[in-house]
Amino acid sequence: MAATESLGGRILAAALCLPGLAEPAHADGAPDQGLIAFKYLDYLDYQPGRERVRIRAPSLHLLLPLSSRWALGATAIHDAISGASPAFHTRAISQLQDERHAADLTLTRFFDDASLGLTAAYSNEADYRSRGLALSGSWSTEDRNRSWSAGLGLSKDVINPVTRLVVDEKKRVLDWTLGLTQVLNPRQVLQLTLGHNRARGYLNDPYKVSHERPRARHATRLLLRFNQHLEDGGQTLRWSLRHYQDSYGVRAQTAGLEFVQPLPWSFSLTPSLRLHNQRRAAFYVEVDPEAAPFATQPPEDWLQFSLDQRLSSFGARTLGLKLAWQPTPDWTADVKLEHYAQRGDWYLGSGSTGLAPFAARSWQVGLSRSF
Amino acid sequence: MRRPSWLVLLGLLGLLGLSGLSACSITPVQPWEKGLLAKKAMGFEADRLEAGFAEHIYTSKEAAAGGAGVGASGCGCN
Repeated sequence: MAATESLGGRILAAALCLPGLAEPAHADGAPDQGLIAFKYLDYLDYQPGRERVRIRAPSLHLLLPLSSRWALGATAIHDAISGASPAFHTRAISQLQDERHAADLTLTRFFDDASLGLTAAYSNEADYRSRGLALSGSWSTEDRNRSWSAGLGLSKDVINPVTRLVVDEKKRVLDWTLGLTQVLNPRQVLQLTLGHNRARGYLNDPYKVSHERPRARHATRLLLRFNQHLEDGGQTLRWSLRHYQDSYGVRAQTAGLEFVQPLPWSFSLTPSLRLHNQRRAAFYVEVDPEAAPFATQPPEDWLQFSLDQRLSSFGARTLGLKLAWQPTPDWTADVKLEHYAQRGDWYLGSGSTGLAPFAARSWQVGLSRSF
Repeated sequence: MRRPSWLVLLGLLGLLGLSGLSACSITPVQPWEKGLLAKKAMGFEADRLEAGFAEHIYTSKEAAAGGAGVGASGCGCN
């Protein structure tokens, strides 16, 4: 990008890089700087008296401008998964151990007012392999104040649980999105995204008992995000609201709030709050206290049923705190702590009962450099 | 053929409405006014790796999933 050789050109280029700075494909011109980023996640979830799943995940992201019209992005992640998971509701907890390797590669072509990106992705575990392709594009108005985006993704998965309950089961997911990002004024930007996916095939968790999910699932989500730069202290507020519903009968509302507070010496502190409210799937079987310690039996006339805690009615909240340091324009280091808690009686309505309180904590550290 | 859900229709109407509203009533922001908007904190996906972790973690604990992008590959966590 020849215009970025001068200081004025750089400021203008930065201003034109809106909206949506790092999403997969944008009609904003190819990035004029490369980026290499490393992040390490340590995650643990638990219920009273019992640790459940622990994940340690180093990950790497590379963004490489190839020319003024082309850019290449790549991400690789390794998950080391250990711990234990319940076979039904929050009981019958059995050990698990697995490793997951995943990578994706995105090639993006930039046009004057548009961009087109193609992503290939691969993920492999001992019992699960997933391959996917996604095409994403965007188009901006000439003044760069409005940008339309669209995406289409297809993944094909193969499931081979170590228990050999099923062999070579397949799952296909087709996913599309349509979005609009609008600059409202010099301090506010709004984004609305509609997404829909259709999954077919083996949608069960093979390690759960009394678990028979439908073999098709259609899900729709509507996501509204709003970023606002505050006038006085230079803080940024980031709001998000999502409504989700699917053919299982799940309805969920998720709200997020992040507050970026600049600090002296190039530090910034970002507290965050996420609230989630989820109505259970139509075939979720509530806990029968009299059945304990055995699994609750689903009604005899139900063809689909599940005792999976994730399909129950609950409310959840996440509290987070992120400290970032950018000592030079090219280097960034950050550390983030989060705590998550999920309860049936936090659901706005009549939540699921009989489940043990569930919680998780995580920390992550990251380092990135532009070049 | 399945009828589109009310949420799909609402989303499409919202996208069209926002587009129409912004075309009629929002004063265009000039390039030289976009300095604050260009800050990293004002981006929607400023940290790709962090966003990836969050999506993966919530997919493994909750039934609802998905955000602004299309998922290119799955995992055995849900």
